[in-house]
This record gives sequence, structure tokens and C-alpha cells, in this order.
Amino acid sequence: MTLPDLASQILYGRLGWAIVFATVVCALWRGAAPIGRPALAAIMAAALALMALPGNLSPAWYLGLAFQYPSGLLVGCCVLRLFERWHGMRRSQAMPQTLAGLLAVAGTLLYLDAMGLMTRGFYYAGFGGSLAPIVAVAAAVACAFAIVRAQASNAARGPAMAILGAVALFSVLRLPTGNLWDALLDPLLFGWALVALVAGALRRSSRRASDQVTTTDTETVASTVLQPVAAERFSSLKEQVGGK
Amino acid sequence: MEIFANTRPRAHGAILIGCVLLVVLVVAEEALRWSRAPSGTAPPLPSLHTVHAGPVTLTELSHTHIPAPHGMPSAHASTLTPLPGNRLLAFWWAGSRESGPDVKVFASTWANGAWSAPSMVVSRASLGAELGYGVRRIGNPVAWTDRDGRIHLYVVATGLGGWAAARIAHLVSRDHGKSFHVRRVLPTSPLFNTSALVRTAPLALSDGGWWLPVYFEIGNKYPMLMAFDAEGNPTSLARIGHSTSALQPSIVAVSKDEVRAVMRDDSNQQLVQHASSRDGGATWQDLPALDLPNYSTSVAAIRLSSGQFLMLHNHVEGGASARSLLRLSISQDMRTWRKIADIARGPAGDEFSYPSMEQVGDELHVTYTWQRQAIAHHRYRIRPEGATR
Repeated sequence: MTLPDLASQILYGRLGWAIVFATVVCALWRGAAPIGRPALAAIMAAALALMALPGNLSPAWYLGLAFQYPSGLLVGCCVLRLFERWHGMRRSQAMPQTLAGLLAVAGTLLYLDAMGLMTRGFYYAGFGGSLAPIVAVAAAVACAFAIVRAQASNAARGPAMAILGAVALFSVLRLPTGNLWDALLDPLLFGWALVALVAGALRRSSRRASDQVTTTDTETVASTVLQPVAAERFSSLKEQVGGK
Repeated sequence: MEIFANTRPRAHGAILIGCVLLVVLVVAEEALRWSRAPSGTAPPLPSLHTVHAGPVTLTELSHTHIPAPHGMPSAHASTLTPLPGNRLLAFWWAGSRESGPDVKVFASTWANGAWSAPSMVVSRASLGAELGYGVRRIGNPVAWTDRDGRIHLYVVATGLGGWAAARIAHLVSRDHGKSFHVRRVLPTSPLFNTSALVRTAPLALSDGGWWLPVYFEIGNKYPMLMAFDAEGNPTSLARIGHSTSALQPSIVAVSKDEVRAVMRDDSNQQLVQHASSRDGGATWQDLPALDLPNYSTSVAAIRLSSGQFLMLHNHVEGGASARSLLRLSISQDMRTWRKIADIARGPAGDEFSYPSMEQVGDELHVTYTWQRQAIAHHRYRIRPEGATR
């Protein structure tokens, strides 16, 4: 169990909350719509300046009071979302369905255990001297492999970079708390994953519905178009005409 | 992602180099830490210091109240830790009311048969200033003096919410309690690191480290144990047993191989809860509850240097309410307990609660919350049974 020193935690908290804060401001202001680079730079600069304010003048004072520190992965996903906005991308890959599913399952188990409904000690294992470092190294290698290999399927590259960043932050500085779980998950990120899963499910169901409508429409159109042909094909008139 | 899809070979090369460097850094850091970690050593066991083994008698020498800070009508949750020269340091919180914004942790030193004037140790303002984020309220303190004379003070400090949103701040003093600095907030929970509290005294380990009893209390309540090395760095965290209604564990070494925890009961059973570990605190088994009533009140247990066990607990009999009778009991085996004395007794509705005790030489010091208004202190002489002086 190696824990970070308080000074590095305070610095991390201010930077991390600034990034999360800027991401949330962008989302609340414009939704998924593009934001100009000057506006984005101004939001980021304002977020950093606000978080650097002393004592209770800083939003970090209240964010820390309520949530302590954001996980490394939440910060990574927010950096990715800001990067996407910087490049004018409307469709985000910051929380793909696979990552959201993994976070939702892991978070459910972790939080049930932490609430005392299970006694598996998942959170305690995140401090472990053997398993947690091995998992961190394995995750780093897997993410690096995914990033390098992701020429063809680039959707995986951004989230892999976010995970690699979070793992590196944990392994090198043990931020944010010295526990691997806290590097990869927090209740805010868990909430984001659940929202992403629900949004994905709604998208899929509306797509299915519209596909069905399209299929039905196509069938209707087809039957409308075919009907006269069939009617024509079997029309006795033809025979009559042919019989002329 | 199109942004990455359009990366040119040069950028791709930079990404490749960056990834390789990060992976090398991760592997190197973890390997370095692993190589420095002690290998193949068994976890340290609780230290067992026994002198003059055998039955003892206790004779009360004095009782008093620790001087209260001016203008602070509410006081609660005292804790004791020894200082060199048979002195003692007591910590407790005081303020206008429990959870009030003016609640602070105070300290007083016992030396030459008297308590010093109280001094303020930590407030939510001083704690917030050192942590860099806000603290909503201050709660129970727990103190420990390490083998180098540093005093470690653990203080409950809540985030957004009530006691269920509590965190544990770890402060250290290198000048016998005159000044403290914050070392960190202990990481105990993945839920914004909330709902972990301290109340009961740590237990010494053979390597100079100690165990800090901790408990979780958001919805379910369960006890935990955080181990520290001799430098005061946390080394592990584990849950005590499977109970979801036991809290505030008081941990005692029974033998070289076994430790027991006695706990406050939050269930309808209303008996002192009990658990045991035989592997250095790594795993715990719930034991049948003790035959002692517990209406959700804190207990304190220690092992005397004679090898016997003492427990302070709120007994309920003859119309007493949950906290109106504070009893001192003794045991040879941590299972069967015999009353020594009723330390404090009043009509139903009175409160004598949250006890702490510390053996200093041949004296036993007991403190507890007196009517939520003050901290009471009793002192006993411990003598081998049959001894005249």
C-alpha cells in the first residue's frame, strides 16, 4: 500500500476538477454542438483560473468537499471529450458502449461490496502489493497495444489513451488515492457510463423502430408497386388482348 | 475516430513512441516498488506485553472532569494516548452542539496529578486549509503515540452530508501534541471516500506499527481495520467479519495467534458483538455475541499487562436507559465478564458514554462523556490480588 503525498493530491485535484468542470460547462452550454476553438480555450483557461483560487473561493473547495478527487479515467475521458470538441467532432467516442458496459459491471460489484452487501473486499484489493500492480501493468500493455494497432478501428484509440493515462498516473504517482479502483472508477464516471448505456440502448431501439418503419414502408411500397404488375400479369385483359 | 484516422505516419510514430515510453515507465515504477517491498515476511502480530501475570484488583484514586474550553457547552468522544514520563494526552471534541460549525478537537495533558488547560488542536477551518478542500463538520478523534514519540491523531471530518459522509484525516505531531500537521485523508471507500469513521483506540503491533479500528456506516454498518507500519504509513485495509450491524470495534490481543474485537451493536439483538482473527487480522470470523447488553453504545476494551482484559460498556438493568450506566468489567478469556465497578450511574436519560482507557504503569486511566457536557476522568491503582500496597 503506497499512498500519494497530500501536496500532489491537492495539485491533482485542482487540475482534474478544472478539466471535468470545463467538460461539463461545454456540454451544458452547447450539448454536442461544436464550440469554436477560442471559446473552448477561454472555458478551459477560466476553469483553471477558478480552480486555482484560494480556499473557499475556488470551486475545487466544494468539489473536494463533496467528491474528494476525480478518478484518473474520468479526467482522461474529459480530456478526450475536450480534444474532440477542439477538432470539431460532434460524435464522441469518450464513452463507447464497451467501456461503459465494463465500468457499469465493475462499478456495480465494487459499490455493492463497499456498501456491505457483499464481503469480497474488492476495494481493499486495489491497494494490494501484487495484484493491483500486475493489473496496472497488464492494462497499460493492453491499452498501448490497442492504441498502436488501432489504425483500422480508431474508435478504440481514444478510450485506450484515457485508460493508459489513468494507469500511468496511478503507477508513477499513485494518484489520486493509492488505490487502483480510484484511478479507474468513481461514482461520477459510473453515472456517466450508465447514462451512456441507456442512451445507447435508446438509440438502438429507435434505430430498430425506424428500420421496422422503413421495412414496412418498403414492403408497402413494394406491394403497391407490384400489385398492378401482378394484377397486370394475371390480367385476363392481356389474354384478351393477346387473344386478339 | 476520424481525428485519429487521419493521423499521418509521423504522428503515428510519435504515438507509438509515447505509448512505449509510458508502458516502460509503468513497468519500471511497479517493478521498483515491488523490489523494495519486504518479501516473504509474515504480517506483524499484535504485541503482547505481560508483567505480573495473575488476578488484579483496582482501587479508585481520583475522579475529576477535564477542564472544558471556554464557551463550549457540548463535549464528547474522548481518547487517550500516553506521553513519556507517565503523562497522558487526552483529545475530545467540543463546541456548541454535535455537528455544529464551531466544533473543534481539543487536547489536555495529564501530568503531576492534574490536567492542563485545554488547547485547540484542529477545527474544520484549519483542516480545510491544509487539505485544500472543505470540511463540513468535525467528529471523533483517536490518538496513538508511536515508538518514536510522534503522536498520530485521526479525526473524523465529513464531506457533504452527515456522519455517513465522514472521512478520516490523519494528523501527526512531532512535539508531544503541541502542534499537528495533516498527513493525508485515509482512503477507505470507493464512494467518494466517504462513510468511514474512527472511535476506538489502536492496537500495538510487534514491529512498531499499529492497527487502527475503523467502521463504515452508510446504511449498513460494518467494522474495518487499517494497519500502519512503524512510520505511520498505511499498509493494509480489511473488513472485520460479515456483520452489517456492528461498528466501533475495540480490538484486543488475546494471545500471540489470536485477536478479538468487541463492538457496538446496531441490530435488534442489543448485545455486545464479537469477532476473532487468527491470521494477524487478515481474515475475521464473527463469534456469538457476548452476554452483555448493548443498546447501540460504544465500548472500550484493553488487555492489562497482567494478561487480564478490561471492558468499559454501558450496562442496562433496573430501569437504566441505554447510556445511563457505565460499567467496568474484567475477564480472563474475553468471553465471561465480571463486574468490577459501576463507573457512573444516573437516572434514565442521563448519559455516561463513549469510554476510553489507558494503562500507564500501575494506574488505569478512564475517560468518558459526562452528560454530553464534559469529559470525566477516573484513575485507578492496579494491584496484583492479595498485595497490600
